[in-house]
Amino acid sequence: MPKVNINGTEIEVEKGTTILKAAAQAGFEVPHFCYHPALSIPANCRMCLVEVEGARSLEPACYSEVTDGMVVETKSERVIKAQKSVLEFILLNHPVDCPICDQAGECKLQDYYMAYDAQESRLRAEKNQKVKVFPIGPEVLYDGERCILCTRCIRFCEEITGTNELTIVQRGDSAEIRTFPGKELDNPYSVCTADICPVGALTSRDFRFKCRVWLLQSTDSVCTGCSNGCNIHLEHFRNEIQRYRPRYNPQVNDYWMCDAGRLSYKEVHTDRLLRPMSNGAALNWHGVTETASAKLARALDDDAGSFGFVVSPQASCEDLFLAKRFIEEVLGTDQLYLGGKPDGFEDDFLIKADKNPNRQGVKAVFGGLNDFGDVDKLIDDIESGAIKTLYMMETHLPADAETRQRFVDALDKLDLFVLQAQHCAELANQAHLALPACSHAETEGTFVNFDGLAQPFEQAFAPHGDSLPHWQIFMRLARAMGQPLTYTFVHQIRDEMFQASDADENGEPAEAQAE
Amino acid sequence: MGEVKTKPVERAEQGLWEKSYIPEILRGLSVTAGHFFRNISPRKSQRRIFTKNYPEEPTVYPERYRGLHRLMLRDDGQVRCVACMCCSTICPADCIHIEAGEHDDPSIEKYPAVFVIDELRCIVCGLCVEACPCDAIRMDSGRHIPPYTERNEAFFDRDLLMELGGLSQAKQGGDRTPAAAE
Ligand code: SF4
Ligand code: SF4
Ligand code: SF4
Ligand code: SF4
Ligand code: FES
Repeated sequence: MPKVNINGTEIEVEKGTTILKAAAQAGFEVPHFCYHPALSIPANCRMCLVEVEGARSLEPACYSEVTDGMVVETKSERVIKAQKSVLEFILLNHPVDCPICDQAGECKLQDYYMAYDAQESRLRAEKNQKVKVFPIGPEVLYDGERCILCTRCIRFCEEITGTNELTIVQRGDSAEIRTFPGKELDNPYSVCTADICPVGALTSRDFRFKCRVWLLQSTDSVCTGCSNGCNIHLEHFRNEIQRYRPRYNPQVNDYWMCDAGRLSYKEVHTDRLLRPMSNGAALNWHGVTETASAKLARALDDDAGSFGFVVSPQASCEDLFLAKRFIEEVLGTDQLYLGGKPDGFEDDFLIKADKNPNRQGVKAVFGGLNDFGDVDKLIDDIESGAIKTLYMMETHLPADAETRQRFVDALDKLDLFVLQAQHCAELANQAHLALPACSHAETEGTFVNFDGLAQPFEQAFAPHGDSLPHWQIFMRLARAMGQPLTYTFVHQIRDEMFQASDADENGEPAEAQAE
Repeated sequence: MGEVKTKPVERAEQGLWEKSYIPEILRGLSVTAGHFFRNISPRKSQRRIFTKNYPEEPTVYPERYRGLHRLMLRDDGQVRCVACMCCSTICPADCIHIEAGEHDDPSIEKYPAVFVIDELRCIVCGLCVEACPCDAIRMDSGRHIPPYTERNEAFFDRDLLMELGGLSQAKQGGDRTPAAAE
């Protein structure tokens, strides 16, 4: 293995390592714009120039591989001069409209200017002007003036999505990114270009002007858009999610996530059920727990055999584990049905047809999916009177609009309908008891993705309104019904759950690697 | 933790003269009486009046007095502020609320659709003025913050703040050719 000397630090690295990576291993930052670990290396921005002993010119650290005995300087006078010149060149026609630029605060050009340049502009002529807000795609806007032509976005569309929408048109200081004629930057992963754009040239339409990035707090979470379970930074401000950003995990999603998943945060803030309700009247938890436990107890006394329970693959494993204990120890029913969203679009990259984040979790916790009835059976059972009391987690059903309507109509036949959900949908009004549950942003838990990988997510902010995590609601009801299930922390449930689960091939939650 | 340096201060002992009290009172009264008679003297040039007839005669504030905020204007009378949120970020009282909007003119792009300052909550520190990169917010209106009887009277919105505003001498945005701004 080659040994290199970087700024006086001796380090041994794998053969074929680039100077940039070797320097990172030795603890030195080499500034770079065009290099991205997941893309090919064009070495076009020249920000990463370093001095190699014996070489005539400075070398691009992102491209040059180390050789044995190489001596590299990343902070020599020549390098500093080159960095200043490159930045001055990039900033020559740059508008520096940081006050209105969504990238400000996470902009590499800003950061590098402060760290490596910090000199006044010498330009005395008017700057070159281009179109400021160019709608390059349905989710992404392009600002030609801010673009530094690093071609990361072009390479993303070539190498990751293979959709080849983007190219550079014109030459010299008129050069800009454009789509090929008749095309739009319209692929299911288009907003990733805004993520990897080192400056504010490509920005997300959804996030545009919404919040300054330095105000955001970031929580490690998992996207609930589909069963792939892409790792995300859930970024929030004042108890509201502002955006999702992919979090590097080579086992799941690398650096990427899809646009639909990125927008799925909106569900957390729409149509929320925020107060416990009894027949349409808002109650507090104290009142509703009493009412609910009394009603459930009466229903069990009357006819325990006609009790149905809809389990949701939208809920976390911890919630499901408590649901299982509640079902087995308190309700004692075995008429289970599986809810969740209907299947949707899928591709061969990240997007999965199963739009529920935790179907594998249901499998692991309940030991398979064979005991669950489907929607048709549920409707038939309600209509035939086999089910008189229904306890439903979440509002989703894997059914088309027509079947769903049949379900909603059939609800009238029930003696007791208890809904425990994040959203109102059309069901909260029909429910005799509606118990507000909180979203994955407001609690912690675990989702098992399609591949059987158990992934933890963390709590970002306090539950909205009066909502509570599913597991706490089950605990409240169980206690009121005289069969307490007692946990104080999610990790207690988690420990017990991993012990109880025979599907232990999931193992411990995967540690995501740092970017 | 560093050492705290102390310096003992000797208390001046009171003499018999001070302790007897009356003479010192008389000395104080004589100063007051002196001012009184000087200020009713028929020769006006001799008067030295220290009392201000506030509020009939308003006081003149120093040039850098921090008073009510005002939002500065562009040459065409639109608000200069570009909703960058630097002021609301730095504000230690967290009393500036801004919601950014998309401007019809693409060469402006971003403007404050909502801009409200809670003047009651403001601690008049002036940091917002220093943080503004666009010379869009100032506190040199020369007016101090008036008393309020209702909480919401203290919410100064964008248009109210613009009424106090004026033109800035700073050049904004450079010149854009119409073709490029399209
Ligand atoms: S891209 Fe960076 S430097 Fe350029 S205007 Fe945006 S924040 Fe400022
Ligand atoms: S738009 Fe961004 S990513 Fe694409 S070339 Fe320009 S600076 Fe690079
Ligand atoms: S003067 Fe200080 S407290 Fe008042 S608005 Fe400005 S930054 Fe906030
Ligand atoms: S007043 Fe100035 S600092 Fe505040 S948002 Fe407007 S431009 Fe930014
Ligand atoms: S990062 Fe090496 S040339 Fe751009």
